[in-house]
Amino acid sequence: MGAPRTLAAKLLRAVVRLAPAESRDWAAAMLRELDFIEGDWAALFWALGSAAAILRHTASVWRAWLKRKSEKETGMNNTGKRVLGVGLGMLSALALVGCALATLRILGIMFPGLEHSSWAYWLAVMAIPEAIFVAATVMLWRKKGPIAAGILAMGLVMALHVAVHFTLHW
Amino acid sequence: MKLRLSPQTLLVLDAFLEQAEEWKYGYDLSRVTGLKSGTLYPILMRLAERQLLETQWEAGEPGRPPRHMYRFTPDGLRFARANAAGSADTGLGEVALSLLPQGLAEA
Repeated sequence: MGAPRTLAAKLLRAVVRLAPAESRDWAAAMLRELDFIEGDWAALFWALGSAAAILRHTASVWRAWLKRKSEKETGMNNTGKRVLGVGLGMLSALALVGCALATLRILGIMFPGLEHSSWAYWLAVMAIPEAIFVAATVMLWRKKGPIAAGILAMGLVMALHVAVHFTLHW
Repeated sequence: MKLRLSPQTLLVLDAFLEQAEEWKYGYDLSRVTGLKSGTLYPILMRLAERQLLETQWEAGEPGRPPRHMYRFTPDGLRFARANAAGSADTGLGEVALSLLPQGLAEA
């Protein structure tokens, strides 16, 4: 079994493990199909597409749950809603950083040596996510203020982390 | 609940209409329609959530994990037949046919 197929199987097994109950059967179905795909790279692309599909399905399940919850709890105070929004924004930002790290890992397999290159690391894990955070904050600030604040907070935490890193190591 | 009939959804409906009573596998559907897993599965999920598609785990050989299979419910079959005309008008039926393996397309 080649490295891309091994990575594909690992990725889909992780997706099956982490997926909520509503999506788990689908994730298991996608994992099972992996055995019938010819070609290691085709298997990896299948797994990436499947993971994206499960992520979207999970997001829609959560959205529906949140909508139901907010309809039920119309009495929920504004502070609670704001805290929920900030948390959601921070979670989204963390998910983006996770995706950036995963992408870097996959690129590292496709182009050996890239993963150990410091500029690739900083570009993938810092520069691009930070640019996305700033853009998302600006776009969401008026309509979804708490979510924008959550994203901004996570961006600031990451920037602080970099500043501390440079202060200690340079 | 309304289902958005994108060109990709119509391709999937067309693929299911071929021998509609038979169970189909995800990867086979992907090959027939030319859709990637990231596009195909959300469509299958939506069809299943709207009770247009039934799903089942295949009881395979002992020691081998089961495989997920899909086929139309009676409602799904009616829905697909009602929308197949729209698909043919836009030429999507031909697109789906052109994506089939040579032997199958000629058959």
